[in-house]
Amino acid sequence: MKLLWKLLRQHVSIGQLAGFFLANLLGMLIVLLSLQFYEDVVPAFSGEDGVIKNTYVILSKRIAAVSSLRGEAQTFSESDISDLSQQSFVRKVGVFTASQYQVYASLSTGGIGMGTDMFFESVPDDFVDIKWPASAASQDAGQISEVPIILPRTYLALYNFGFAQTKNLPKLSEGVVSMIPMDIRLRGEAGKEMRLKGRVVGFSTRLNTVLVPESFMRRTNADLAPSASAAPTRLIVEVKNPTDDAIASYVQERGYELEDNSLEAGRATYFLKITAAIVMAVGLLISALSFYILMLSVFLLVQKNAEKLQNLLLIGYSRTRVALPYQLLTIGLNAAVLLIAIALLFWVRDWYLHRLWQMFPALSEGSVNGTLLIGLALFSLVSFLNALAIRRKITSISRPK
Amino acid sequence: MNQISLHNTLPLVFAQRPDNTSELWLQNVSFERGHLYLIEAASGTGKSSLCAYLTGYRRDYSGTITFDGRDIRDLHNFEWTGIRRRTLSLMFQELRLFPELTAWENVEIKNQLTRHKSEAELIAWFEALGIDEKRNTRLGLMSFGQQQRVALIRALCQPFDFLLADEPVSHLDQENSQVMGEVMMQEAQRQGAAVIITSIGHHMDLPYERVFKL
Repeated sequence: MKLLWKLLRQHVSIGQLAGFFLANLLGMLIVLLSLQFYEDVVPAFSGEDGVIKNTYVILSKRIAAVSSLRGEAQTFSESDISDLSQQSFVRKVGVFTASQYQVYASLSTGGIGMGTDMFFESVPDDFVDIKWPASAASQDAGQISEVPIILPRTYLALYNFGFAQTKNLPKLSEGVVSMIPMDIRLRGEAGKEMRLKGRVVGFSTRLNTVLVPESFMRRTNADLAPSASAAPTRLIVEVKNPTDDAIASYVQERGYELEDNSLEAGRATYFLKITAAIVMAVGLLISALSFYILMLSVFLLVQKNAEKLQNLLLIGYSRTRVALPYQLLTIGLNAAVLLIAIALLFWVRDWYLHRLWQMFPALSEGSVNGTLLIGLALFSLVSFLNALAIRRKITSISRPK
Repeated sequence: MNQISLHNTLPLVFAQRPDNTSELWLQNVSFERGHLYLIEAASGTGKSSLCAYLTGYRRDYSGTITFDGRDIRDLHNFEWTGIRRRTLSLMFQELRLFPELTAWENVEIKNQLTRHKSEAELIAWFEALGIDEKRNTRLGLMSFGQQQRVALIRALCQPFDFLLADEPVSHLDQENSQVMGEVMMQEAQRQGAAVIITSIGHHMDLPYERVFKL
């Protein structure tokens, strides 16, 4: 093998191979990086892991000066909801249920106490982007000891970057907030009252409200305000495609309002997908071109060494054996490209993840397994095609005249 | 392999020639294992073509050539590889050595494949042929006569039933060609192989059993 290589490395062009190496490295890196970036960043927009997940929009009726003066209902009727459910862009509709009683929440830690009037809302559990603790479902209204609460992530950001910053108060992480126990007082019709403990169990990017489990809401509304009707003022809609024009036109036609960010996030995700796809396509194109360079270079090499190869075949070397050094050369180059691309990928990823975490502290990094698998698959495919092409080229020069 | 036969074989380029006086072309001729043949030829009579047909790198002939009765046009690539490695050894007129490698490496590249000869046996041949001190010289720097001797050693370091030597001593003096003939015949007899030598005039002085005029 050593002698064979000594013979066959004649005419190996370092310049051509270096050109291939860099081009292939660039292509591979772009492909892997676009995949990984997409994997890592999409959750920041959609609040979900996974590539193709459903998107949610929140609808309300427009609050206009005239209608509020007239005392017109800002709530959705049964027929509004059923009409919406039948639209082609809708997958599922959920209603926001508001608390029909007064809520007062207070907390006291280390001697500092503060409290505020507030409200609760609920939506069906499968619209919530955070899982309720298992205990929430089984609670009976009579024995509720602790209410799980989900706050909008923006509240925490507002506190940390707005309030705490200017007042020199400590910044709070999600974990710390979850540990603060709250006292909650509910006051309903005819002086009915309920005292409970509360605890923040999570922060939602999708729902901009103070959420409690729907079962809890149903029981407390029934107990504390049995006569009040709870017609929904807001709806949460799972749409098939957030970029669908039909959504915007339906909303306009009906005089509804879209809570902006939900659709924007969907759009951003969509654009991100397209951008990632374009970048990946460019990467694949560069990879394909670099593959072409390598093939040309190897073909030229085989052609220049044709006489040597022919002589080797005539003294009893098999085609497999004379093809092997060139096949190993290309596979070795491809493997080096893959390894360096992966190393660079981790390096660049580390860099952008740090920046993303400053923007989205709760962002969980995506898995790298898919990307590595794609890299490996690309390497295998390219190496296989290289090996096959070399074999065919050598067969073509060994064919008897 | 025991027999190489030619049936009505003729290089395609000779198809237009009216007068065929050849004792090989367009005849039924067989070469048997264990015998010694000489093919005498004027240049341009198809001597090298014959060698190319027998080693499977040219097929531009009419008629049939068989190895033990099997038409060699039907042989697969892998079968040719086996034949070149174990059955039929050829010392090419143009040598087909590798000028980038040393004399020793040129032999070694074949012997590594066949593992037929020990290092000592190879060195003994280098000594017998008088090129021992050139073992580590790059082949490109050696004279053609010296290269012919390297080519002979390379041709001998494999098992074979037939040894085909195409003008093996064209650039050697009488004394050196004598030594070469001895080395060649010794190994061929040891293996019980046939030797077919071609020549355009000057040839080794050996007890040929049959001489063909091409």
